[in-house]
Amino acid sequence: MTKRALKSALRHGALALFTLATIYPIVQVVSISLRPGDRLYTTSLALIPEGASLDAYHAILFDKPFLLWMRNSLIVSVSVTIIGVALAATAGYAFARFRFPGRGAGMLAFLVTQMFPATMLLLPLFLLLRKIGLVDAMPGLIIAYVATALPFCVWTMKGYYESIPVELEEAAMVDGTTRVGAFTRVTLPLSAPALMITALFSFMTAWSEFMVARVIIQKLGLYTLPLGLESLAGTFQTEWANYSAGAILVCIPVVALFLALNRYLVSGLTLGGVKG
Amino acid sequence: MGSFLRRYAQPYLFIAPAAVVMLLVVLYPFIYNFIIAFSNMSLYHLRNPEFVGLQHFRTIFTEPEIVSVFAKTVIWTVVNVAAHLFLGVGLAILLNQEVKGRGIFRALLILPWAMPQYITALTWRGMFNYQYGAVNLMLRALHLPAVPWQANEYWALAAPIIANIWLGFPFMMIIALGGLQSIPKELYEAAEIDGAGWWFRLRKITLPLLKPVLVPATVLGTIWTFNNLNVIWLVSHYGEPADKTHILVTYVYKAAFHYYRYGYAAAFSVVIFILLLSFVVYFLKATGEKGAAG
Amino acid sequence: MTMKKLLSVISGVFAAFLFLSILAGCGGGGQKGPARIVLWEIMDPEERVILDEFLDAYNASHADVEVSRTNFAPEQLRTQFLTAAMGGGGPDLVFGPADNAGPFSIASVVHPVDEIFPGDYLARFIPLAFDTLAGHIWTLPAQVGNHLCLISNSDIVKTPPATFEEMIRIASDFTADTNGDGSIDRYGLVFESKEPFWLVPFLGSFGGWVMDAEHNPTLDTPAMVKTLRFVSDLRNRYGIMPRECDYQLSDTMFKEGKAAMTINGHWSWRGYDDAGIPIILSSIPKNEKTGLWAVPMISSRGYSVNVNIEGEQLERVKELLKYLVSPEIQVAYATKLSVIPSIREAFDDPAVKKLDRIAASWEQYQRGKRMPVVPEMRAIWDAMRPAFQNVLNGEATPEDAARAMQKDAVRKIREMKG
Repeated sequence: MTKRALKSALRHGALALFTLATIYPIVQVVSISLRPGDRLYTTSLALIPEGASLDAYHAILFDKPFLLWMRNSLIVSVSVTIIGVALAATAGYAFARFRFPGRGAGMLAFLVTQMFPATMLLLPLFLLLRKIGLVDAMPGLIIAYVATALPFCVWTMKGYYESIPVELEEAAMVDGTTRVGAFTRVTLPLSAPALMITALFSFMTAWSEFMVARVIIQKLGLYTLPLGLESLAGTFQTEWANYSAGAILVCIPVVALFLALNRYLVSGLTLGGVKG
Repeated sequence: MGSFLRRYAQPYLFIAPAAVVMLLVVLYPFIYNFIIAFSNMSLYHLRNPEFVGLQHFRTIFTEPEIVSVFAKTVIWTVVNVAAHLFLGVGLAILLNQEVKGRGIFRALLILPWAMPQYITALTWRGMFNYQYGAVNLMLRALHLPAVPWQANEYWALAAPIIANIWLGFPFMMIIALGGLQSIPKELYEAAEIDGAGWWFRLRKITLPLLKPVLVPATVLGTIWTFNNLNVIWLVSHYGEPADKTHILVTYVYKAAFHYYRYGYAAAFSVVIFILLLSFVVYFLKATGEKGAAG
Repeated sequence: MTMKKLLSVISGVFAAFLFLSILAGCGGGGQKGPARIVLWEIMDPEERVILDEFLDAYNASHADVEVSRTNFAPEQLRTQFLTAAMGGGGPDLVFGPADNAGPFSIASVVHPVDEIFPGDYLARFIPLAFDTLAGHIWTLPAQVGNHLCLISNSDIVKTPPATFEEMIRIASDFTADTNGDGSIDRYGLVFESKEPFWLVPFLGSFGGWVMDAEHNPTLDTPAMVKTLRFVSDLRNRYGIMPRECDYQLSDTMFKEGKAAMTINGHWSWRGYDDAGIPIILSSIPKNEKTGLWAVPMISSRGYSVNVNIEGEQLERVKELLKYLVSPEIQVAYATKLSVIPSIREAFDDPAVKKLDRIAASWEQYQRGKRMPVVPEMRAIWDAMRPAFQNVLNGEATPEDAARAMQKDAVRKIREMKG
């Protein structure tokens, strides 16, 4: 065996082992969803429980308004993704490429919003949104989520832009392109991996968030997935099988989105190609 | 004024939409909390809160457990963020090489991030049960002694840390994967020709060039972990054993939601806020992040 | 894309926002239509199914009213309701445990029930269903109980134990390592042994209680010391309970048929039925040393009316409320979920009277003691929990733990009032 082959085998082995360890808890959740009688724990190591059934999947899809929750979550998450990426792409660009008064303070200000314990911000946020009529309204939820996702997105975009040589833009501008044109036609396409990260992050922020949604949304018809799943839980009794089945189903759009965006993560659109 | 605007109009216009959204959502809640932090607002003074000055801050710094809880918060944060970085960057580097079934590995490895936290955190709690939990069953199968994950003060902190590392590494992995795309392959090729080993390439090429994306992820990861109540709360079942598994935000939560001590909870939040702000300013200076300094 | 295009996209997004916000704003007020009644509740999923059926029926028969409900976790309902009601808003009705009365009465965010309903209406309820605080009733009870009972798997336990001694003996007989791997795989008794709510029945059997008439904690007592020793002995001396036995483990083991007895409330019984476990309910046994029965905490759950609701809307809410606690609905809850009714007509209904589970639960109820509804109780729970866990883990003696509980409770109450 050559050294290269050995290395490759090691790499695959380590990855496979780690991946197995990673999905073990997920398999446990699958196991709960198959278990009759709503048992969260088990005293056996068997992954496929005795009396396994797919009843919970049937129940969550057809007896619960799961598809409605899914639709609401998709509307909210997709809106947050589009708005979040658009706002972060522009703001990050300004921070990366311009020098102006308040730049440092502004960047810090985005971070500062994340430092206060969120539980304490919820109640005044609720009072505020009620005053402007955004309680029980998707725009209220969307704005709140965009604000949650933005600090990370802005900083990530700014960091990535800075790794792209400014000369590329300058060259385009010499050719008569405007600043904005240079940004949208040169820098933005090169930032695909960062755009993908911010898109995925914005999407997930909205997709899995519970606390803010709980405060803003009260109408059953506007429930998002986390609110819907939470409604399967009670003070003492929880529909564990349905809950887990729902949790598995909730993953599917995320993984689908990830696979769709995967292309940009491996796009091979590296700077080397451009520079070379 | 006119020339100032002409000069800086572009960057301000670029930032304005994001800034407006942020201000709309956070400004009022921030001011609200900073004000009630100096009042005795609580269940018994809900309609007529009075100004009490620094009273809550004095109470906070004389809480008997404050030092040990702060130490645990630091351990919780440092171990988590370090592990997220190590695993995330490590896996990203592995996955960026030639690997068969790369897409499948990637999709499987983001599952901890994709699944709702509530159910996975409780699943982890089940896995940490002394007698029936999967973790101890495996330890026994390997002829290792079982670990009292829920009864011993130190193991009880280790359990939620392990669960949270599992929850958080996929995020860091994706960021690192994205960051790796901005590193020109030619740099590695040149280094290889010069006979540089993998350690040299990692230290001199990969990590420095990943920095622009890793710095914000680390800073925000630290802030989020520091204030992450859910995971430790669920895995330790509200602080078991005997209220020894708490971090600072637990106090905020308990004060506000159990005891309706809104003024005190707001003051505690202000303390946490100042701690984090100092850390971030220091960290950004130390990592040479020009943006925040200038 | 040019600057113009980019700006137009961004401003378009904002315009859409503004438009949607205005739409949402309009939805809230101004329009003519049915009067809306909003209910916040903390029910378990299966309780909500029944509630929804009746709310749908109510909405269908009342064209001028539209009732909607939202589920909350108990803590969240309390805090969010306090905030909203203080600001002059909030839902019309809240459904919760009786101890909501504490914070709600102190903050004056709900109407006293005895001021909005006449005495002859309230006389239709079982007197035991009411809690009073500061001279008023704050919650209109929809169910009584919410207490713990002893639940035995009748395949294993033929006659439920009447004394602690019997309970320990039956449990010891069942506790065994059946597959011979060196670790015990079935236990005689399982219950949530980390929450003080499950400690209270035993405390009562030793003659102790959590607070005195002035709401001062009474935790550092010989009764508490004996109780802590007894519960820790169940696991550490008699070995009839597993280590780290929490709610979910108890639930799982009992549903798997790997536990002979458990201690739990009415909310759990249907789950055991669904898991195919035949159960018998009985009172938690008598302490042969003192001659006292175990004393679980009992309480009601019911509806409170937001203090901001007045005039016509208050009349509408009262009408709905009368419907929600009507005998018809209570009989449905009793027959489907074994919940004890609070209104006499439902309590005496033959369909309810003949239910063994209600009878057993009522017997236990009468041996229980009311859970204090004052906010001090939360401080006492939070003080008991860690000390109790320390005893179970062998980190503290019962004497030290009792002292620690008392000290901690006194401190927490002082801070809360500060």
